[in-house]
Amino acid sequence: MTTAEIQATSPLFRMEGVSKRYGGVRALENAKLDVEAGQIHAILGENGAGKSTLIKIMAGVVAADEGRMLLDGQDITFRSPAAASAAGIACVFQELSLIPDLSVADNIAIANPPRRFGLIDRRAQRAIAEEALARAGAEDIHPRAAVKDLPLSRRQMVEIAKALASKPRILILDEATSALTAGDVAKVFAVLKRLRSEGLALLYISHRMHEIAELADTCTVFRNGRNVASFRAGTRSNSEVVEMMIGREYSNVFPPKPPRAVIAKPPRLECRNLGWGDRLRDISLSVAEGEVVGLGGLDGQGQRDLLLALFGVLRGATGSVLIDGVPMTIASPAVARASRSAMALIPEDRKTEGLMLPMTVRENLSFAALDHVSRGGIIDRTAEEQLIDEMVRLLAIKTAGLDIPVGALSGGNQQKVVIAKWLMRKPRIVLLNDPTRGIDVGTKQEMYQLLRRLADAGAAILFYSTDYDELIGCCDRVLVLYDGRIVRELEGRDITEHALIASALNVDDGDRRGTAA
Amino acid sequence: MSDTSEDRISIRTRLPAFLRRADPAVLTAFGCILLLLLLSSLYSSNFLSLNYLLQQLKVASFLGVVAAGVMVVILLGHIDLSVPWVMTTGAMMACAAAGFGSVGPVIAIPFGIICGTAFGLLNGFGVAYLRIPSMIVTLASNVVAQGLMVVYTGGFSPQDSAPPPVRWLATGFLIPGLPNAILVWVAISAMMIFLFTRTAFGRAVYGIGNSERAAYLSGVDTRRVVMIAFAISGALSAFGGVLLAGYSSKAAQAMGDAYLLPAIAAVVLGGTSILGGRGSYLGTVAGVILITLLQSILSVMQMPEAGRQIVYGVVIIVMLLLYGRTPPNR
Repeated sequence: MTTAEIQATSPLFRMEGVSKRYGGVRALENAKLDVEAGQIHAILGENGAGKSTLIKIMAGVVAADEGRMLLDGQDITFRSPAAASAAGIACVFQELSLIPDLSVADNIAIANPPRRFGLIDRRAQRAIAEEALARAGAEDIHPRAAVKDLPLSRRQMVEIAKALASKPRILILDEATSALTAGDVAKVFAVLKRLRSEGLALLYISHRMHEIAELADTCTVFRNGRNVASFRAGTRSNSEVVEMMIGREYSNVFPPKPPRAVIAKPPRLECRNLGWGDRLRDISLSVAEGEVVGLGGLDGQGQRDLLLALFGVLRGATGSVLIDGVPMTIASPAVARASRSAMALIPEDRKTEGLMLPMTVRENLSFAALDHVSRGGIIDRTAEEQLIDEMVRLLAIKTAGLDIPVGALSGGNQQKVVIAKWLMRKPRIVLLNDPTRGIDVGTKQEMYQLLRRLADAGAAILFYSTDYDELIGCCDRVLVLYDGRIVRELEGRDITEHALIASALNVDDGDRRGTAA
Repeated sequence: MSDTSEDRISIRTRLPAFLRRADPAVLTAFGCILLLLLLSSLYSSNFLSLNYLLQQLKVASFLGVVAAGVMVVILLGHIDLSVPWVMTTGAMMACAAAGFGSVGPVIAIPFGIICGTAFGLLNGFGVAYLRIPSMIVTLASNVVAQGLMVVYTGGFSPQDSAPPPVRWLATGFLIPGLPNAILVWVAISAMMIFLFTRTAFGRAVYGIGNSERAAYLSGVDTRRVVMIAFAISGALSAFGGVLLAGYSSKAAQAMGDAYLLPAIAAVVLGGTSILGGRGSYLGTVAGVILITLLQSILSVMQMPEAGRQIVYGVVIIVMLLLYGRTPPNR
């Protein structure tokens, strides 16, 4: 880029030795970053690599623990997002930050509306909005239209216009295209390129490798809160970039995987052409008894929706589900858990979906299995007690008693209660939604053993995890989702971190040759 | 919840264990009852006489029956504002049924309760299936019930008097010296305690009150539970109305108006969270007795009506503030 020469001496924005810790977790460590005017700078990294923290520090949302930031070579600290905005740093976040019931103009000028006699000057506000929309290449959006009436892609344009209205010098886009279709993405790209030629510095965060290849001038890769490398775009292959993003050190003990037996029976769980809006598209999969099948891919590619759809939670899901080869209509969790399908779902958020925190350990444990221990709706306390004791022993749940609120237990033990409450029903199909998130390593290991024991006992297990090591260590097969579709199936030795990440990013370079056994 | 399973008679023999496990709100409410009686006995020793106390329990039993139903709905995290006119409907329909010839007096009580259950099911359907906030649905059905009763009576007090079985249930004596109304309340209380502590339905109510999402994902048919809960509330409101009609030997317009706030206040004073999911039935019993005593003592002391209302309201606010300070611990 020729524009790079303009700022050859010192960058527009520089970050040096910036660190941030949340409790004991280090989110960012000794990060450095140079942002030049008139360039698009791509930030790459896995989930939890520190990208979000970096942006939040730049935008004044959180304060860094140590390190310094320089703007135009001057030291600068932001006490609030407003301060960062005043200094010329604007953010377009991945979750849309617009207020649906207000008009486009109201939203664009919401942070600092033009005032006249203390009241909002609507005419001036409209002028500001029109100018910002024009700059964002969205002149067709009427400033007085209500945001809720606009389609998602138009809202994203309003979001960009809103960021531009503060006349920023640095524009940060955090996954700004993840909600857009290919056609809309092309429009956004044209706008971004024009902004670059106008001399803006753009910081672009995305998981989509081909977007980065098209847009970026410079790339910086983050891993585990550190920046691993910065390089000019196009000087590294996709494969090399993926190598840079992986390479965490972990030593979990996974139980050995048994050799896969060929079973003549129909698969325990099968779904065909499952769809749900534009979140799930044409998903077909099968899980045999005794098999642990993983769901991989980046966060939010439809894995959670898939598990919920199978469990009968999502209204309007299309396609068919077969249990043991028999077509079934699963319209609600009550149907899913019934003996004909005997499904269990370990939900994503144990605090709101898995448990009733103020209720006792006992009440939580037996909650999903009350129909097993009651007769005519009346609970048989002896039977309940027996089942609870059995589960507490089986999973080694550490609790001061069964009559204390479950919220008083540690995260790992809470998760054990969630799993135990479903194991009481002796499920034949177990769906797990990221069950090891936020729990300690010891409990994680116990869970890996448990999964394998369940599978050996004949259960079919479908297991979504955001941790690649788990997928590699636990699963017989892994299905990788991207944008609501299964883009790749990995089996046996082919399940490698490299293959998982490459297919998660949906890059299609030489990886497949390397892994073909 | 565990403390409610204790048999009330065994409280004395197992005091230490009970005290350790009891809900602090329930203990506070019972403590306030004792304090109130103690203070009032300084004014007049009649407040401690068996006759006075039985009379108060009898009056309390009408509120107690209504509050039991309201509690089920509050535990879900909902509210039932249709109490006043569902009560009136129950009372008027029971009296009306007396005119159905010779079977009339026999079917009077069940007919009144069935009418209340119908309104409860209507509320439950609106909340569970149509997803309308309970505050709106129940307020609306209260007005509908009022309208229907005005049409039925032409706006005047109905002429039918309460049939003998209704009067006997409210004022008779099955056991000499113990008014039947109290027996009815005790029987309903026993059923409620059983429902809350020993049935899958009871567990589901607490579960939904704490996290409807978690209960649904656990495979509970949450909509059915909500329907049934509102039906129970409607049935018990109407039953309370029937008892009240028996007590005053006839139904009257707006006879239930004085019961909505006391019923909700009794439930909340007894330590049930207005947000749902937490509370024990014994607390509601304590709340009902407390509120009835407070009203009675203030009127015996010949405080003017306005002053009574003010004291009554202030006491409720102060008690709720006290509970708000206690950590959420059940």
